[in-house]
Amino acid sequence: MTATISDLPVTTAGLETVGLSKSYGGVKAVDGVTVSFHHGEVNALIGPNGSGKTTFFNCVTGMIKPDSGTTSYRGRDITGKASHRIAQAGIGRSFQLCRVFPRMTVMENMLVAVRTGNTFAQLRSARDKTQLDRARGLLTRVGLDHLEEVEARNVSYGQQKLLELAGVLMGDPETILLDEPAGGVNPALIDRIKILVRELNAEGKTFLIVEHNMGLVMSLSDHVVVFDRGRTIAEGPPSVIQSDPKVLEAYLGI
Amino acid sequence: MFSGPLLLQSVILGVLLGGLYALLAAGLTLYFGVMRVVMIAHAAFLVLAAYLAWFFNRQTGLDPLLSLAVTVPLFFVIGVLMQRVLMSRLRPATLTMMSVLLTFAIAMFIEGMLGFVWTGTQRRIQLSYSGASIEFFGARIAVVKMIAFALAAVSLAGLYLLLKKSRMGQALRATIQHKEAAQLLGINTERIASYGFGLGLAIAAIGGTALSLDSTIYPSLHWRWIGPLMAIIVVGGLGSIPGAAAAAMLLGLAQSLLQLPMGTTWAQTVFYIALFATLILRPQGFFGGRLAQRF
Amino acid sequence: MLSASDLAPPAPPSHRPRPATVLRVAKGVALVVAVAAVLLFPRLAADPFILSVGVVIASYAVLATSWNLVGGFTGYISLGHAAYYGVGAYATALLIIKADVPPFVAWIVGALLVGLLAIPIGIAALRVRGASFVIVSIALVLILLLVFQSWGSFTGGSNGLRVPRPFSADVLRPEQHERFFYLHIALLSVVLLVWWVIDRSRFGAGLKAIREDEDKAESLGVPTVRYKLIAFVLSAFFTALGGGLYALWFGFLDPIFQFSILIGSYMVLMALLGGVRSLFGPAIGAVIVGVALEFFKSRYGDTQLHLVATGLLLALVVLFMPDGIIPALTNLVNRFRPTASSIQEMTAAELLQRDRAERPSETELSATEVADENTAVPR
Repeated sequence: MTATISDLPVTTAGLETVGLSKSYGGVKAVDGVTVSFHHGEVNALIGPNGSGKTTFFNCVTGMIKPDSGTTSYRGRDITGKASHRIAQAGIGRSFQLCRVFPRMTVMENMLVAVRTGNTFAQLRSARDKTQLDRARGLLTRVGLDHLEEVEARNVSYGQQKLLELAGVLMGDPETILLDEPAGGVNPALIDRIKILVRELNAEGKTFLIVEHNMGLVMSLSDHVVVFDRGRTIAEGPPSVIQSDPKVLEAYLGI
Repeated sequence: MFSGPLLLQSVILGVLLGGLYALLAAGLTLYFGVMRVVMIAHAAFLVLAAYLAWFFNRQTGLDPLLSLAVTVPLFFVIGVLMQRVLMSRLRPATLTMMSVLLTFAIAMFIEGMLGFVWTGTQRRIQLSYSGASIEFFGARIAVVKMIAFALAAVSLAGLYLLLKKSRMGQALRATIQHKEAAQLLGINTERIASYGFGLGLAIAAIGGTALSLDSTIYPSLHWRWIGPLMAIIVVGGLGSIPGAAAAAMLLGLAQSLLQLPMGTTWAQTVFYIALFATLILRPQGFFGGRLAQRF
Repeated sequence: MLSASDLAPPAPPSHRPRPATVLRVAKGVALVVAVAAVLLFPRLAADPFILSVGVVIASYAVLATSWNLVGGFTGYISLGHAAYYGVGAYATALLIIKADVPPFVAWIVGALLVGLLAIPIGIAALRVRGASFVIVSIALVLILLLVFQSWGSFTGGSNGLRVPRPFSADVLRPEQHERFFYLHIALLSVVLLVWWVIDRSRFGAGLKAIREDEDKAESLGVPTVRYKLIAFVLSAFFTALGGGLYALWFGFLDPIFQFSILIGSYMVLMALLGGVRSLFGPAIGAVIVGVALEFFKSRYGDTQLHLVATGLLLALVVLFMPDGIIPALTNLVNRFRPTASSIQEMTAAELLQRDRAERPSETELSATEVADENTAVPR
C-alpha cells in the first residue's frame, strides 16, 4: 500500500481478462472488459449497483459462462472453465451472501477444500493429521478454533464469514476473490478482516475485492478498478481514483 | 405410407390430447410455481376425480360431467387444506425434496384407498354418446374426446383470465415470480400459496372428469399419467405455464402421430425420450421462463 | 491480592460420567448383540416362512444401504432406484438363460453391466438437481417397466421369467433360504464397508459438501460432476447386486414387481426412517419397515392397504422425523428428561452457544468478544 508498488510496471501476470462480455436478454451486463489485476497486490473492484461487478466476478470464477472474451490466470486460459478447475488453478473465492455448509461442523467445513491429489488419495481419511493441523492453524488464526465441533448453522453470521474465509484458505489459493466481505458485519469484524487481508497479502497472496464500503476499499487496496455500466471507467491507486471526475459522475450522476 | 385421413385423424387426436395434457400440466406447474413443490399426487387426484365421476354416474345415472359441480369445489378445498396443514410444515431448506416424498406418499395413499374401496377391477363409464363420433374429411373423431378437449380449453381459458385479470390471479403471478417482493407488496403469500394449491387440485378434478368419459380407469392409472406430465413440465421448463402448455401440445401431437407406426405402448416412450433429450441439450427446459433453473 | 472474581466459584465440572463414553459403550454392546442375533437368526427362526421373511428383510437392507450411497451422501433423492434392482435381476437371469453363464458369475457380471449403463444415465440425470432429478429417476423406472413388459420375446414380458436355481434340486427350501440369508448378509457387509470407507474419506467429505451446497463445494475445488457420478454408479452397482441375488433366490421375475415404484419408495423410506447420515440407519429402517410390512400383510391380507400403510408411514417420517427415527426418539426422550438444572451448570460460553443457536442474527459477536466470553465467570 505504499505509493511505489502501483507505480512499478506490473511484471508478473495474474488474473486478466480481454474483451470479456456477458449479456442477459438485450442488456450487456459486462461489455468487453479488458483488465489486468495486479498480481501480489490487493485489488479492489468498485462501481455503482448494476455496473456489472458481480456478473464479471461470476464469469471470472466460473459460475457463469461469458458470451465472448477470455480470462487468463498466470498466462493460462481459464475462460469458461468449471469453477472447480478454477479453484484448483489457485483461485479461491468467497460469496456475497456468505456460504458455508450448514449441517456440517466447523471442522468438517474446513476439510472440504480440495487442491490436488490423485484418485486413491481421495479415499484416505478426511481427518488425517496434516489436514487437521492445518485446519486448526487456520481456525486459530481467525479465532474460531474453540468452535470446531459446532455445526456451521449454529454460529453467528460474522463467525460464518470468518469460517468461509478460513475454508477458502484451506485450499491454499494464490489469489483470493472476496465478494463484499464487509457486507452485513459489524465494524469490529470488518477490522479483523482488514488485518487478515493485510497479513495474507504480506505473505504473498493476491486479492481481488468487490466492495461497496469505500472506507475499507480506500484504506486496504493498492489498485482500484472502477466499473460502470459493464465497462471499466478508471483504474489506479485509491488516491487517484478518489479524485477522478468520471468516478464521481458514475456514483453520483454528476 | 399412411393415408391422408388417417394422418389427419392422428393430428386432430393429437391436438385434442395435447389440450388435456396442457390443462393438467398447467395445474402441475401451479404447485411448483407457488411453492416449489413437485406434486406427484396430482395424477392420483386426477384418477380419484375420475372414480368419483364414474361412481356418480353409476349411482345417479346422470351425466358424469355434472359431478364437476361437486368435485371442483371439493378438490379446491382439499388443496387449500393440504397446503395449510401439510406443505407448510415442511422445512424451507429441504422443501422441494421433502415435498416430493410427501406427495408421493399421498399418491400411494390415494391409490391404496381407491383399490380398497372399489377394488382393482377396471371401470368404464358407458354413456349414450360414448360410441358416437364425428366425421371430418375422412377422419373419425370420438365425440367424448371433443368434449374432453372443450372442457380443457374452457378451463385453460378460464385459468388465463383468472391469472391475468383478477386480483387473486395477479397476486398469484407475483408470488410465483418473486415471493419476497410479493410479500413486500403486502400480499399474503401463504394464503395465495394455498389458493394456488386449491386451483391445481381443482384442475385435477376437471381433468379427471374429462378422463373418465373416455378411458378405462383403475387404481394404478395415475402412474401412466404422472410420468408424461412430469416429463412435459421439465421439457417446457419448470414453473412456466405457457411453457408447459406448449410442450404439452407438442408432445401430445407427437405421441398421437407415433401411435401409427409404433403402437400405443411404444408411443408413450416419446415423453421419456423428450425428457432425456431436454436433460442433455437444455436442462432448464425449452419454453420456460425465469423460473426455469437447474432445480 | 485477592479480588472478588477469585472468590467466585469456578465453573463446576460435570459430575456425571462423560455422556460420550457411555454412549460409545452402549453402541458397542448393541452392535455385538445385533451381529450375534443376525448370525444366529437362521437357527432361531421358528419356521421356513420366518426365515424367508428374514431373507426379504436382508434384501431390503442391502437395497436401502445401496440407495444411501447416493441419496444420503449427495442428497440426490432417487425414487426410481428400483430401475437398477430390476435390470440387475433381469441381467442375471438372462445371462444364465441365454448365455449359459454360471449363476453367481452371471450375478456379478449382470451388476457390472448395470454399473456401466449407469454411467450415461448418471451423466444425463445428474445434470439436474432437486425435484427435476426425482422426476427423471421416476421416469427411468417407468420407461423400463414399459420396455420390459413390451419386449416379451426377450424378457418374457408380463408372463414373467423363470430363473434357474443356482443350487441343485436336492437342496431343500429351508436350506436354500438359509444360504441366501447368509449371502445377503455377506453382501450387506460389503456395502456397509463401502459406505464406511466413503464416509470417512475426502471423497465422502466432498460428497457431503455437494449435498449441503453444490456450487459452494465446486468453488472450493470439489470436482462435483465426477464425484456425483461415482457415487451414483456405485449405488446402481450394489443395488443391481441386490436385484440379482433376489432373482437367484426367488426364482421368478415379473416386470411389475421388479420395476416397481413401490420398491423404490421402500428404499427411500427405509433409509430416511433409519437415518441417512448413519452407517446402520438404512438397515435399521429396513428391519422396522420390513417387519411392519409383514405385519400389515398378515393382518390385511392381499388388499391394497399395504399401499395405504406405506404412504402413511412415509408421510409420517417426512413430516415428523425427516432426520430419521433415532434423532426423533432422542428429541422425544429429551423432552421428558428432568428439566435442565440451574444455570450454574452451564458456562456463560455454553449459554451464549445456546442463545446463538436459537437466534443467530441477534447475538453476533466478533471473534475477540467470544474469546472473552470463554473466561467469564458463570452467573
